[in-house]
Amino acid sequence: MAAVFAVSVFFDYRLAKETADAAFDQSLTDDALDIASHIRNSENLPLLELSAEVETMLRNDAPDKVYFAVRDSAGQLLAGDADLPDFPVAAHKQAEFKDSAFRGEPTRVVFYKIRSPHGDLTITVAETIVKRNGASRTILTAMILPTLAVILATFMAVYFGVRKGLRPLENVEKEIATRSPRDLREIAIDATPREIRPMLARLNELFDLLRLASAAQQRFLTDAAHQLRTPLAGLQTQIELATAEGRFQSDPERLSRIEDATERISHLVDQLLTYARAESSTAATQIFEPVSLAVLAEKAASIFLDRALGKNIDLGFEIAPATVDGSPWMLREALANIIDNALRYTPAHGVVTVRSGMRGAAAILEVEDNGAGIPADERERVFERFYRRPGSPSGGCGLGLAIVREIAALHGASVELADPQGTTGLRIALVFPRAGAPAHTDPHRGIDSPAMEKP
Amino acid sequence: MRILVVEDDNLVASGIKQGLSQAGYTVDVADSAEAAEDSLRNEAFDLAVVDIGLPRADGLTLIRRLREQDNPLPILVLTARGSMEDTISGLDVGADDYMTKPFRLPELSARIRALIRRSHAIADTCLHHNGLTLDTNSRTATLGGAPLELTKREWAILEALLMASPNVVSKDRLVQTLAGWDKDITLNAIEVYVSRLRAKLAEGYIEIRTVRGIGYRIDAPA
Repeated sequence: MAAVFAVSVFFDYRLAKETADAAFDQSLTDDALDIASHIRNSENLPLLELSAEVETMLRNDAPDKVYFAVRDSAGQLLAGDADLPDFPVAAHKQAEFKDSAFRGEPTRVVFYKIRSPHGDLTITVAETIVKRNGASRTILTAMILPTLAVILATFMAVYFGVRKGLRPLENVEKEIATRSPRDLREIAIDATPREIRPMLARLNELFDLLRLASAAQQRFLTDAAHQLRTPLAGLQTQIELATAEGRFQSDPERLSRIEDATERISHLVDQLLTYARAESSTAATQIFEPVSLAVLAEKAASIFLDRALGKNIDLGFEIAPATVDGSPWMLREALANIIDNALRYTPAHGVVTVRSGMRGAAAILEVEDNGAGIPADERERVFERFYRRPGSPSGGCGLGLAIVREIAALHGASVELADPQGTTGLRIALVFPRAGAPAHTDPHRGIDSPAMEKP
Repeated sequence: MRILVVEDDNLVASGIKQGLSQAGYTVDVADSAEAAEDSLRNEAFDLAVVDIGLPRADGLTLIRRLREQDNPLPILVLTARGSMEDTISGLDVGADDYMTKPFRLPELSARIRALIRRSHAIADTCLHHNGLTLDTNSRTATLGGAPLELTKREWAILEALLMASPNVVSKDRLVQTLAGWDKDITLNAIEVYVSRLRAKLAEGYIEIRTVRGIGYRIDAPA
């Protein structure tokens, strides 16, 4: 841009300056002709007849000074300033122009040939170049300012034009950048610039293929689930029938071991499938919808109350409204796994509390227990698949928190493990950072909020 | 009581048949949707247990066809897929309840009992629970055979809890239940009504359990 500007200004300046210079040179020639007109026609008279006024006028062209000299063909000074240099004018030319310094100042000089009764003469006129420089500066200013203005205007037009033109592109970029890695929905093409539509269409075709692949994987999982669960159901029924018929009366210990093993296989199959489904989930099967964390927590009460009562655990709830965009079944699974863990690892007569609500702009779903907790240096490992902490009670399969983390990641949420305030145990929270305030009036207003307590 | 089990897996089908037979039901097994339709056309059943994953026409198709023919037979769906979408679509096409494989036989027979009772008792306006009976028609209640006096609000709360049992009912839900009479009823008022109810029910085997932070629950009948 600057180079184009410089070149453009340079050439414009050259052109304008040449024109101006030609005009100044013409004026210099006129001075020479003026002097020539004062040369006497007779050989016997003095060469020049210049009155004092005329010479003063001639010599002063404020702010410039004019010097002159008249020489014969031998270079002999006939009139004027002796110290003006001489310069031979080429035979075929009438006049010759030169830039040279005179009396310490830069000057423009013309050497002009004339014929006269005194023979061939050369009239030399030199003028300082103050006016010329002034004109150059004026030209330069007159050139640069409009060019600068045009360039600036062009730059602004291009900058804002391109920005405006690229905004739809930026929207597409933002749309893709904020997607979860497994979001394979098609990009809406309608609102995009025509130039990038073919590219987006190819991208959408790729998304289609990936969705198909993911749908095939889902089908495989569904079939696998069916194939695994059906014989398990058969096994379970047979054990129960055998028990009912009194086949294990002689060895109840063996029955409880078989039942325990069956239970664990069932649990493992469930967890494996949940994990695999969450891991391979894409937007093809999971379009997110608004999910009320308050409703989710409240429903968990009915599901887990009996297990808590069976272990004499005080299962309680602190429910405040919070809504996130998500998959209902996945969030339900995530919460179920967290509560399941809490009930599993909290000893009898412990306290487990499920909470939903907002923390600033983030929606929170958390479960706090007063069990043994997890040491800080093991908190990263518990998310690993199949990792089971040494000495943990049997029945767990080590997938629960891996599932929770997987589901959280799909929702752009984080899983926080922290110490509960003022007690031992563990507080595990799903934090949904971008959650808005509850969009609609939630029927589950803060049940125990002070405002509600007052009549 | 006669039950049709539609299940193509022999191990599961025979297990269910034995289990339900021991619970006193007459059980027929069909191993496909087509065979099930044949049996239902020719014989009368009180309930069907339908597996979703059947060869050829699946369980959902069978249920849809039966409902299209206005067949009101109570249907319990068995699903091995364990995905919520399946169970929801099962209920959408007209199933009455669902269970996920693997299941426990006692729970299966409990659910079947409830479904049959519900289908036979559409005309029956009474709620029964461990010796407590609420006749929703005459608005009279008895506990262990003796009349039980309940105010309108106590009745409404008890009815809501019994109908939801064994699920938890939030205090908010109870407020909404009473909102027809009391526009400005408070959560404190609900607590007062529940404590009065507890006093009145103390003689029987009914316990209204407090669920911390949410509300109340009446445990499943013993």
